[in-house]
Amino acid sequence: MRKTKLIASLLALWTVIAVLTGCGGTTTSQKSVEVIAKGFQHDFWKAVKKGADQAGKDLGVKINFVGPEGEGAIAAQVEMINNAINKKPDAICIAALDTTASLDAVNKAKANNIPVIGFDSGVPGAPEGTIYANASTDNYKAGELAAQKMFEAIQGKLSSGKPRIGVVSQEANSQSISMRTQGFLDKMENLIKSTGKTVSIIGHTKFANGVSGGDVTIDIAIPPEINDTQGQTSAQTLLNKNDLIAIYGSNEFAAKAIINADAAISGGRIGNDKVVAVGFDSGALQIDAIRNRKFLGSVTQDPISIGYRAVELAVKAMNGEASDDIDTGSQWYTADNIDSDTIKPLLYQ
Amino acid sequence: MQTPILKMQHITKEFTGVKALKDANLDLYAGEVHALVGENGAGKSTLMKILTGIHQKNGGTIEFMGKPLHLKSPKEAQDMGIIIVHQELNMMNHLSVAENIFIGREEKKLGFWLDDKSINQKTAELFQKLGISISPTETIGNLTVGKQQMVEIAKAISYHAKIIIFDEPTAALTETEINELFCMIADLKKKGVGMIYISHRMDEIERITDRVTVMRDGEYIGTVNTKDTTKDEIINMMVGRVIYEDPKTQSTVSDDAETVLQVNNLTMYPHVKNASFSLKKGEILGFAGLMGAGRTELARAIFGADKPDSGTVFIHGKRAEISSPMDAVANGIGYLSEDRKRYGVAVDLSVSENSVMPSLKKFSSLGFVNSAAIHKVSSEYCEKLKTKTPSVHQLVRNLSGGNQQKVVIAKWLIQNSEILIFDEPTRGIDVGAKSEIYTLMNELAQMGKSIIMISSELTEVLRMSDRIIVMCEGRITGELDIKDANQEEIMKLATKRESAG
Amino acid sequence: MNDIIENIKTKGMQKFIALGALIVLYIAFSVFGTNFFTVDTLVSIFDASYYIGFLAIGVTFVIITGGIDLSIGTVMMCSAIVGGTLYNNAGLPLWLCLIIIILVGGIFGLGNGIMVSRLKLPPFIATLGTMMVASGVGSIVSNVQSTTFPMRSAADGWYKDIFRTADNFPTGIFVLIAFTVVAVILLNKTVIGRYTFAIGSNKEATRLSGVNVQKWETVVYVLSGLFAGLAGIAYAATYTTILPGAGQGFELQAIAGVVVGGTSLSGGVGSIIGTFIGVFIMSVLKIGLPYVDLQPHYQTLITGIVVIGAVLLDIYRSKKEKSVKQKS
Repeated sequence: MRKTKLIASLLALWTVIAVLTGCGGTTTSQKSVEVIAKGFQHDFWKAVKKGADQAGKDLGVKINFVGPEGEGAIAAQVEMINNAINKKPDAICIAALDTTASLDAVNKAKANNIPVIGFDSGVPGAPEGTIYANASTDNYKAGELAAQKMFEAIQGKLSSGKPRIGVVSQEANSQSISMRTQGFLDKMENLIKSTGKTVSIIGHTKFANGVSGGDVTIDIAIPPEINDTQGQTSAQTLLNKNDLIAIYGSNEFAAKAIINADAAISGGRIGNDKVVAVGFDSGALQIDAIRNRKFLGSVTQDPISIGYRAVELAVKAMNGEASDDIDTGSQWYTADNIDSDTIKPLLYQ
Repeated sequence: MQTPILKMQHITKEFTGVKALKDANLDLYAGEVHALVGENGAGKSTLMKILTGIHQKNGGTIEFMGKPLHLKSPKEAQDMGIIIVHQELNMMNHLSVAENIFIGREEKKLGFWLDDKSINQKTAELFQKLGISISPTETIGNLTVGKQQMVEIAKAISYHAKIIIFDEPTAALTETEINELFCMIADLKKKGVGMIYISHRMDEIERITDRVTVMRDGEYIGTVNTKDTTKDEIINMMVGRVIYEDPKTQSTVSDDAETVLQVNNLTMYPHVKNASFSLKKGEILGFAGLMGAGRTELARAIFGADKPDSGTVFIHGKRAEISSPMDAVANGIGYLSEDRKRYGVAVDLSVSENSVMPSLKKFSSLGFVNSAAIHKVSSEYCEKLKTKTPSVHQLVRNLSGGNQQKVVIAKWLIQNSEILIFDEPTRGIDVGAKSEIYTLMNELAQMGKSIIMISSELTEVLRMSDRIIVMCEGRITGELDIKDANQEEIMKLATKRESAG
Repeated sequence: MNDIIENIKTKGMQKFIALGALIVLYIAFSVFGTNFFTVDTLVSIFDASYYIGFLAIGVTFVIITGGIDLSIGTVMMCSAIVGGTLYNNAGLPLWLCLIIIILVGGIFGLGNGIMVSRLKLPPFIATLGTMMVASGVGSIVSNVQSTTFPMRSAADGWYKDIFRTADNFPTGIFVLIAFTVVAVILLNKTVIGRYTFAIGSNKEATRLSGVNVQKWETVVYVLSGLFAGLAGIAYAATYTTILPGAGQGFELQAIAGVVVGGTSLSGGVGSIIGTFIGVFIMSVLKIGLPYVDLQPHYQTLITGIVVIGAVLLDIYRSKKEKSVKQKS
């Protein structure tokens, strides 16, 4: 009996506090922006946060940056979006883990007249008018860039036998990763075709092109679960194929998988004079691999710009200005320009 | 006369408001076998749990070997040489015989390194001394219950026990095993070990004990010398009044009564072997036998709870395919489990919810239950069966054993079952409530219900049955009409083993 | 005497089946998988077995007592994060950090042990809570950043040699075997093991036999935690960067390995060697399935079927064993 009373009074107290703080929030004149990222694990998001915080300072808005613990936590992210809406901020920036799962929340935001800005991969497929604008890397273009650079390096090897090009992709569901993979595949296919050869794309039904026995094979490996062991295994299956001449990892996870898999092979398979490796994003292991010229180079997005631009768009939206989507750009970096002023700030350990 | 090694005086014990012991006394001499008797709930177990350090007393004194005793844990009791051989065997089934005996006092090197060779050898020596032929390395779970009990007794002896408490030691033993146990007890007696013997079996008490202490309702009633007393006297002390358990002399079923259930060659290896019998309308058919004779297994197979290997069942002359309890219920069979709390009632549901459990369909439409009708019918049966409960909304957990049993009976009557299988109908029910259950069963039979009654109490079998079937080791070893039946005849059939017969 | 022979036959049979399955799997992948039968692939199988192996060995003790430890996956990650953060930010020497990793695992185990044995929480609930606590602690300690251990080229890269040398020699398999032997001895030759089985067999009887059940139950959970810490070191050495918030799911993989190895979730029965084999069956599947060019979702499906099959086999076998016993 006493216990229930205690719990009841605690609940009452909690409600009072909630109401008080809620009131406090509305009385301040500073506008607020809720930013929901895909996660906190990868340092990529740290850089995004840095950009967002900077924009918040520059433009005088309050930034609340949140994200689920892991990139598999779709449900947790949807909850975060709902919580953000309930706080009634002036704008919301979302990088959705799963676009369909987030659609309800996005519609709810619209119903509450809260403008939604997409960043990073945004919320693709959201109905017309629900998303104000996106601040994101054009991932398809970024994938093309990786293909272009790789093609330049392997052009000479394409004629010897029937070579294979490997692709490690973290998953096939996320829009941003799929687009990087797709951009890479399309560009590479076209580039090779322009030399008069045929191309087979195999490995995962989503990307396969149905051509068999092409002059060049592009082989896509996707791990069954997103963890280091499975990632490494997928990369290693590719590396163990003798006809492999090049390998591409379409995000930090995939690049790490390639590096770890290579370390587990006696003597190593990748290197500029062996299997040509191209990565995406950065991270301690990948930067190390580029410096040691194990990786030819990688494509990096501009996470700081993504964060900054997203908040910028949010401010525009709350001021009622119109805006188009912004491509925050991507850069190619190698051992030679890794320490330059243009690249260095974009990389994270 | 020597002084007792144990003297427990005016022991009281309370469990959150319930007085389990009000004023319990017991004294024990070295080399004595002392019976402790009383109805269920009389406080025997509680008293023994206090003596073995499992519970702590609230009041009273214990003197052991002339010194006051204050036990705080089972380990302390063991170290003093006070050991209990539990009714439900307390064994680590997956460990070996020797490992079980030496659990908690392993032979060690360097403080943690086990020396199993040494305990195996010590066990072998111990067994040799006691004339037990069991391999010390055998896994306990693979032994028969009787053998397990011997190991437990050997364990007690290995503690240099001064007092050994036997809690219903023969409940699960075969005749030969009982004889072996009694030899062991006689041997221990000579060695000066004091033994407390808890049992319901009067013949055993007469045979091996020196004195009998009787308890009732948590109180000490009295102590008598076994040879100066009679069974009736002890029973009188136990129940506080004279009860007559006169056997039935004549079957109340007419010869031309319809056969409602016919079981042919039912086998469920290894529990039931080739069992055939029939049950007539209005008959109470007693199933007698020792524990493990296969009676419960046979009942469960008929009820569809377990799948038999072969055999056929006919109900009203028609072949019945019963492969699940659902089928059995549909065929008008109701089963009242020996383990009411586990299989008979859902203790956390109310009386009314339990009462309509098998027949809920009758009291619901489109999935909605008709609470008013349920309330009505369950109240009606509470009244009919004289179930003592403040209301039909009372949780079954709060009812006494006898009243729980009535709820189970109500359950099957509401379902309109014709064949009722009572498995140990009065186990855990006190004497007063017992006779009510008996009356009820007789009334049911008169109403035309047919009853199979499995009972391990011979007096109960002889008092209730119109006909008696005796089983031993899975086989039906005999069938007796009530007028030819007596305890000796039943026991002979119940111990008629395959190899012997 | 016949009884004893029968016993050896049935008990030996079970391990033989598991070992046989492992060998058959390996041969099958070698035949049907392109480039599967290489030293490098074998080393990868080892790599994938170290951390799961340590987790599984530790949790085997808990499972034999009839308990469960769901926290080992995140405790492993959390311990590694704590160690890595101390190394990177506090500048402690690496060897000390590695010891701390094991100790942090032990502390979580102690927490589990106290909750289960003294506070009488059901193991499932207690360790589920710890699973989340450890995940949270890891995120807090690392400030939700990934923790990078020194790379092989770095001055402190020596710790990687514990599990794999620069020229790809799998030293880790010897470390795993060494700890397996230690665990086998603990379980079969020491008091800890005896009480582990006793508690799993019949806890109340063990208590009534005067054994300090609370103490030994706690010890078993501490052991599981220490092994999770050890797994943290193996994980750091193999994968270099540790992400906070990760680790969930590894406990189930480890438990699957334990179960495939013939340890009963109802307690009282189990063996470390079985767990060792079970973990390798899981690893060979994990590494081998991509080599036969199966799509990822089929790999997960097949792994699931193997786990269910193994448990069914075990139930069937013990049932049969019992009926043989009763007939004889």
